[in-house]
Amino acid sequence: MSTASRIADRAAEIPAVEREDVSLLLVLPGLFLFAAFMFFPMLYLIGISFTNARPANLFGGGSFLTFGEATFVGLRNYVAVLTDATFWNSVGVTWLFVATSLVGKVVLGLSIALVVTNDRVRGARFLRSLLIVPMGLPAIFTITVWRGIFSSARFGLANQLLAWLGVGTVAWLNERWAAFFAYNVTEMWLAYPFMVIITVSALQDVPDELHEAAMVDGASYLSRFFHVTLPSVKRPVLFASILTAAASFQQFLIPYVFNEGGPARLNELIIVYGYREAFQFSQYGQGAAIMLIAIAFIGAFMWLNVKKGKLADGVDEA
Amino acid sequence: MSVFARIASKLAEDAWTLATTPVEAAREARYTVAAYRRGDISATQLLRTAVATTFAVLVVAVMLFPIYWIAMSAISASGGSIYAADGFRFVPKRTSIKPFVWVLGDLMIQPDTTIAVPFTDLSVVFDHPRIVFLDASDYGVESPSEFKRYFVNSVVVATVTVALGLSVIVPAAYALSRREFIMRRKILFGYVLFTQVGGGLGIAALIALYAIFVQAGLLNNKIALAAYYAATAVPFNTWLLKTYMDGIPVSYEEAALVDGAPPWRVVVEVILPLSAAGLATVTIFTFLAGWMEFVVAQLLLSSGNYTLPVGLFSLVEEYSIPWARFSAFALTFASPVMLVYLFAQRYIEGGLSFSGMEG
Repeated sequence: MSTASRIADRAAEIPAVEREDVSLLLVLPGLFLFAAFMFFPMLYLIGISFTNARPANLFGGGSFLTFGEATFVGLRNYVAVLTDATFWNSVGVTWLFVATSLVGKVVLGLSIALVVTNDRVRGARFLRSLLIVPMGLPAIFTITVWRGIFSSARFGLANQLLAWLGVGTVAWLNERWAAFFAYNVTEMWLAYPFMVIITVSALQDVPDELHEAAMVDGASYLSRFFHVTLPSVKRPVLFASILTAAASFQQFLIPYVFNEGGPARLNELIIVYGYREAFQFSQYGQGAAIMLIAIAFIGAFMWLNVKKGKLADGVDEA
Repeated sequence: MSVFARIASKLAEDAWTLATTPVEAAREARYTVAAYRRGDISATQLLRTAVATTFAVLVVAVMLFPIYWIAMSAISASGGSIYAADGFRFVPKRTSIKPFVWVLGDLMIQPDTTIAVPFTDLSVVFDHPRIVFLDASDYGVESPSEFKRYFVNSVVVATVTVALGLSVIVPAAYALSRREFIMRRKILFGYVLFTQVGGGLGIAALIALYAIFVQAGLLNNKIALAAYYAATAVPFNTWLLKTYMDGIPVSYEEAALVDGAPPWRVVVEVILPLSAAGLATVTIFTFLAGWMEFVVAQLLLSSGNYTLPVGLFSLVEEYSIPWARFSAFALTFASPVMLVYLFAQRYIEGGLSFSGMEG
């Protein structure tokens, strides 16, 4: 081998100028677009949260990407938010909503999935197809329909059901816990197709041999459910729960469409709280602080789950 | 395969099942009856099946009841309210297609279409009488909805979203799938993570987004809104298409290279045709990102530029909702999505099987 070619080989091995790094250029436009509309506003949001921004001073002077005539107020927004009882009420209600709706969603999803995967049911595939129809409908539409269902009028669907059961009418959206209950029912209904899809495919992955073995051992339906079915579907259902809990935490449309988090701001989930603070009471600075605290909460929640639950599994396959 | 891919493949599979079930059911019923006559199946077994099936049907019926209820109200003649004073009825007393006519309004082509030839003073005139598909006043509908205007707005927004989205998603997906470069795993990890944390962050950053749009003078600008939608669609769809491209054997590309094709031809003539199914899936998801979004559109657009979801919600009044019109509007709005699923179903199904071997 000649010296020249040996040197050429050596040069090819030097990783300093990886020719393939040029491929990064193919990824950059997308990354740039994403950063411009998602990442950059986040940075700007952090900036706003340290100012006394309101529409009047933020948009004065025709500035762009500066803070207009708004002034820097340090941590005052955060102090104001964190010492506000309304804020802590909102945080409490939000976590309560996450907890209750999550339990509801898992129980509902699991029950429906068990029903439509039962061996005895004919046309199970057809039923499963029908079940996920709500996914094809715009959320704003279905949520408004649920608002109509929980109408306080005597002829609202929920009240007609109560009347049929012999109970008096409820002013659903004007009472705190009735409205909270209505949020939960709606959230469960919106999420059930997702939960059913995940649970059904998990259930179908359970080997029949396990059930047969348990049956041979004389296990009843219930003990088979707890000792065979549940352990087998635990991981996928847990995974779906984490995702759907994050979605519940960020729920905006249900309270917004139902009664704007009412009555009297009692049911404002945290995103609604920040949104109203900014756009209805013109407190952009405080609204930004609230949103950032909410992001911190959700970030911590997801970080815990990533650590514990290997949420980013998809990358490992890469 | 990820949760999302699984969901999408289920959706496609289920559309197919819905269409073929009646035939299957009839065949199975005939078979069961025959088996029962022969004595292969006992009466108890038959009864247990019947009970279980009935129960399952009931469960599904309860879950879908809100949709049924609203669909009924769309065709009910009582018009303004779904709260019939004589209580709930499963089938409306009188039906009417008036709400749908109200949604669509007049569908007609004015006489003598004139098309100006660009860069000249000439124009082509088609001499024809007025073509009427639907005349709203025939049905007694005087002031129809703004559906057509919102529809055009939505089409503009969704089209730009798809065009812009695909133009950045496709090259990125290819690079992430086939090349090794610095930051590759970090970018991928970031995309997957963002996908799973969800778009709620979008609402959280809404205050800043709104301020930026106002300051840049982009408020009420459909194209800027579409760019935002395309940006939100980037992480999930890039990752999805990348996963699909991973399934295309590298040997196809190597064969093309051996035959002397330059890299760009390998991409255009081997990779893109083989990823047709994946591309279709990504197109649909990007389209839906622009078609369905409400919160941001509602904040940034004003009435002339409303997209369909915002237009739909603008029908809602403080204390009452015109249910028949509202649901007719919503069902008409959701129907293109169903059509897209139907036509693209073959592609989606292939796209999410993640194989690419059949090509």
